[in-house]
Amino acid sequence: MGDDGVLVELAGVGKTYGGVRALRSVDFTVREGEVHALLGENGAGKSTLLKILSGEVAAGTGVVRIGGEPVRFTRPADARRAGVAMIHQELDLVPALSVAENVFLGREPHTRAGAVDRRGMVERTREVLARSGVDLDPRVPVERLRTGEQQLVTIAKALSLQARILLMDEPTSALSPREVDRLFTVVDQLRKDGAAVVYVSHRMDEIGRVADRATVLRNGEVVAAFAARELSAARAAEAMVGRPVDQMFRAAGSSDPGGDEVLRVEDLVVRPRPGRREPAGISLTVRAGEIVGLAGQLGAGRTELLEALYGASGATLTGGRILLRGKEFRPRSPRRSLRAGLAFVPEDRRISGLALEHSVTAGTVLSIVDRLARFGMVSARRERNAARGSAERLGVKAGSLSAPVGSLSGGNQQKVVLGRALLSEPALLLLDEPTRGVDVGAKAEIYRLLGEAARSGVGVLLASSEPAELVGVCDRVLVLRGGRGLRELDTAAAGEADLLAASMGEVPMEDAR
Amino acid sequence: MTGRAALAVVFRFQSVFGLVLVFAAAIVFSPHHNGDLVFLDSGNLFNVVRAISEIGIIAVGMTLVILVGGIDLSVGSVVGLASVGVAELLTANDWGLVPAVLLILALGLVFGVLQGIASARFRIQAFIVTLAGMQIARGLARMWSGGEGVSITYGDGPGQAPVPFSLLGERTFGGVVPIPALLFVVVAALAVLLLRASAFSRHVYAIGGNEKAALLSGVPVTRVKVAVFGLCGLLAALAGIVHAGQLNFGGPNDGTGYELNAIAAVVIGGTSLSGGRGSVFGTVAGALLVGVLDNILQLNDIDSNVQLIVVGVVIVLAAGLQRLRPATV
Repeated sequence: MGDDGVLVELAGVGKTYGGVRALRSVDFTVREGEVHALLGENGAGKSTLLKILSGEVAAGTGVVRIGGEPVRFTRPADARRAGVAMIHQELDLVPALSVAENVFLGREPHTRAGAVDRRGMVERTREVLARSGVDLDPRVPVERLRTGEQQLVTIAKALSLQARILLMDEPTSALSPREVDRLFTVVDQLRKDGAAVVYVSHRMDEIGRVADRATVLRNGEVVAAFAARELSAARAAEAMVGRPVDQMFRAAGSSDPGGDEVLRVEDLVVRPRPGRREPAGISLTVRAGEIVGLAGQLGAGRTELLEALYGASGATLTGGRILLRGKEFRPRSPRRSLRAGLAFVPEDRRISGLALEHSVTAGTVLSIVDRLARFGMVSARRERNAARGSAERLGVKAGSLSAPVGSLSGGNQQKVVLGRALLSEPALLLLDEPTRGVDVGAKAEIYRLLGEAARSGVGVLLASSEPAELVGVCDRVLVLRGGRGLRELDTAAAGEADLLAASMGEVPMEDAR
Repeated sequence: MTGRAALAVVFRFQSVFGLVLVFAAAIVFSPHHNGDLVFLDSGNLFNVVRAISEIGIIAVGMTLVILVGGIDLSVGSVVGLASVGVAELLTANDWGLVPAVLLILALGLVFGVLQGIASARFRIQAFIVTLAGMQIARGLARMWSGGEGVSITYGDGPGQAPVPFSLLGERTFGGVVPIPALLFVVVAALAVLLLRASAFSRHVYAIGGNEKAALLSGVPVTRVKVAVFGLCGLLAALAGIVHAGQLNFGGPNDGTGYELNAIAAVVIGGTSLSGGRGSVFGTVAGALLVGVLDNILQLNDIDSNVQLIVVGVVIVLAAGLQRLRPATV
């Protein structure tokens, strides 16, 4: 153990990938019983720092000390042995196995007869769960748990491995507010037990609640450090971006949202399907140059509405109608919708937005290759020109247009998806959580781009779970609940609080799942 | 060229580099005849190409199918079906050369398209669909000839095949190039061009890279997949016709295991079995690599069973090399 209770210490740590310097001479410490938040835009070096601590990559220069002892992790197993556990964004649990089986996966206790000691396993899992203040039945299969609960299982698993240092990478990105509260209770418990927690998040409000200290990285360097009580969203954002972030959101909508009606939806009803909240009577309009928001809690049916409009989900319309630029429109397939003037930016760019191994160029021009082709043949030069034009307009930062999209930061990947949608010159742009997992700087740029698109006459329909975003960016917001339109708010008059109040129902969404 | 770019080229065209290495080794280990290297004799070299022409033609189609994330296990049986079919049509049915060939090609195309529809439209795994297709095509081949092989004799009389068909087996183009080798080269060149510069190819790669993203980006996923399976079936039928011509025989049990040889050429060529990454160019080099290996082992009178082992090792090496490929190149 170090003198002053410092459990983790990085001194002058640097790391270079190929020619790119990801970290340069970073000093960073976490004490026992401390939660240390790590902030920074995508590409600032947070992931690299976590990877060095978790043994996924070796530090290039500098020293890492755990409990005062210099260590050099070359494999994740080294880090695990030293008591470091990474809580991944993607949870590494086996869905069909029970909580207890997952916690003891690969090291199941045995009875004297050589069989797996199920009862012992369940008992010990219950103890571990209790230690972190979690009340879950160890015998339940993990697939029956909610995302937040699964995450708690991962933490319990780490604790049962005697982890003293927990690395949490955006642990709340997929959680409901209630699940976030529960997670924070657990983190508090960890703190009391003397664990050291490194906490990465984009959400400023969370960091104020959960962290003791915060360090801001930019371009691989530490640019600011705060005690949690000094931390303000504005100061942290400024440090992350390197310039004052005023005017984060563009002043709402275009000044004149009086364009022609691009989209009119009247009483849209889609045949219900299990596991989805299909539209069950939604009406709305979007005019050219207008940004209309879709609000509502998890499971309100925002994604399903966008997918139904785009023809992405194979939904069957059973009632109502859709008018696109005044003409009756029946969504059949994304291809036909694109031709009809729609474009869609899906919720999860890694799953449904991009082929990560393919080049930036390929990802950018995919929707327009038919248009770029002459007699079915496309020239690589024309593709590159189109992609370059888009990348310049959107400010995509990539080493090269032939680099794999997956090598870009999240914000830049999102800009590639957005660029592809805009290249098809849509009349109506559908966006599902376009700034999820994107850092502050890229967020501001995406808002700017949406504003530009609107001013050029595109109608925008934006689904988001961030009230600040909806109020800041949209002209009007439609609040959904249970697949129905609940209320429409004019953002000139209504604020975040009104929006939140409007989205809350008598029925808590978690239970209505 | 930076080191990274050079590395990218090596990995992308690993089979070409492998081919160069094997070719060099073949020269070193070639037996001599009257002071000349037997391996480098033009007749021998073209025989290498002839020997791989059937598998090569199939492997081109297989590359497309694997690029969209599929697999086609039926091609070997389609070779058998096509070889029996063309032999029957030309001899027993006294069809002309052109209609017989066209009908068999159409048969392969339709067979592939049906498999494509089953897998893309009705979402049955390609592995299972084409496993069934493999049984069905084999069954059809045996029914067509009553389980017997069909010998092809040439002439104008009834029951004799038109003489030009014998060109496949005997003649060479310009004195050196065997016709099957020429066909293979033409097919491969067309496919390389198609995959390099067509809008269709962008869709093929996009589907293999991320099918959902491709669909949402407006790629006609079902149509492209059906087309790809259709092309693969067509090329398998072409290989079957070449097969019948080379042997003057239509064998209902012929082509067994060809699907695996074709997949081997694709894998050695550096195409990812999970789709979205690879090239016909690599496949062609992969097929040639296997051909040269076989040839040099034969020239040195090495047991043909050893050849199998060597090819097996090469497959593992090729796949292992792709694992080393950094994510960023």
